[in-house]
Amino acid sequence: MHFIIGGAFNGKRAWVKKTYQVSKQDNWLSAYNHDPLPTNLMDIEEPVIILEGVELWLKDLTKNYDVNHSREIWNRCKENWLIWEKAGVNRKLVVIGTDITKGIVPLEVENRVWRDVTGWAYQDMAAKSDKVDVIWYGLNQNIK
Amino acid sequence: MASSSLIFITGGVRSGKSSMAERLALEIASQSGGPLYYIATGVPSDSEMQERIEKHQSDREAGTYQWKTIEQSVQIGRLAETFSSGDIILLDCVTTLLNNELFSTEQTWNDSFLETVKEKIITGIISIKNRAGTMIVVSNEVLNESLPGNDLVFLYSRLLGQIHQVLVEEADQAFLVEAGIPIAMKGVRQ
Repeated sequence: MHFIIGGAFNGKRAWVKKTYQVSKQDNWLSAYNHDPLPTNLMDIEEPVIILEGVELWLKDLTKNYDVNHSREIWNRCKENWLIWEKAGVNRKLVVIGTDITKGIVPLEVENRVWRDVTGWAYQDMAAKSDKVDVIWYGLNQNIK
Repeated sequence: MASSSLIFITGGVRSGKSSMAERLALEIASQSGGPLYYIATGVPSDSEMQERIEKHQSDREAGTYQWKTIEQSVQIGRLAETFSSGDIILLDCVTTLLNNELFSTEQTWNDSFLETVKEKIITGIISIKNRAGTMIVVSNEVLNESLPGNDLVFLYSRLLGQIHQVLVEEADQAFLVEAGIPIAMKGVRQ
């Protein structure tokens, strides 16, 4: 798994497209396009899959479930994605998350919960990733 | 004669990005002997803002090198022809300039208006840089927090992100300042 993080509108998508030479339609699952959270990737034959906008999927989970349950569902999905990736030598899972964690503590409890769950999910994904890059206005900084 | 260069510096509030930019400008001036210009974009909206601007001014005047301050809150490209090669110019900061451009008219924020504002800022900076020796541009890190479901903030963030991406692309050097320490992101030998 290659985990890509960075602030909003920092050029994460363009960097991934350039790096992996993937056009948008090819197995690009995006929360921004209202694709639902993929619980597994079993049907996908393409070697590279890109999951984009994970912070929105996490937001959806926290809207519908409590913190622990949200994290459980998320972890189950992530484990399934990793199973998919390991099932083929050429398979590559690329996950893009927008950093939403550096502002002032939100006033609304639901936004605080969303932010917390997102931060934990990012830590966990980074831990499970072979590679992590931070994108800063189109430049990448490889941090793992 | 060396070609002109663009240096882009960002950081959070009170990260020391302005001081770093001024220090860098002075360093370049002491090596090249070129004159220092400061493009002030701030329009004081209250007394606290006024004091903030005065603090920045007195900081710049206290040094050995004399800065020439030019006040220009919108359309900075108009300044381009006043500069010549060898000049060292500091623009602080892009977010203030963007605010001024966005709020100086009653225009609704449609795509063509936002595109015009973006182009005005980018071409303004590039045209000054092309005339001058060194152009240093300071901006703010504001894109790492959750966006509220608010259209204006979303459009503003997108615009600022796009501007920053172009400036980093165009920049010869780029720095991210964290707690006073500049992190070289582009074009600097470690």
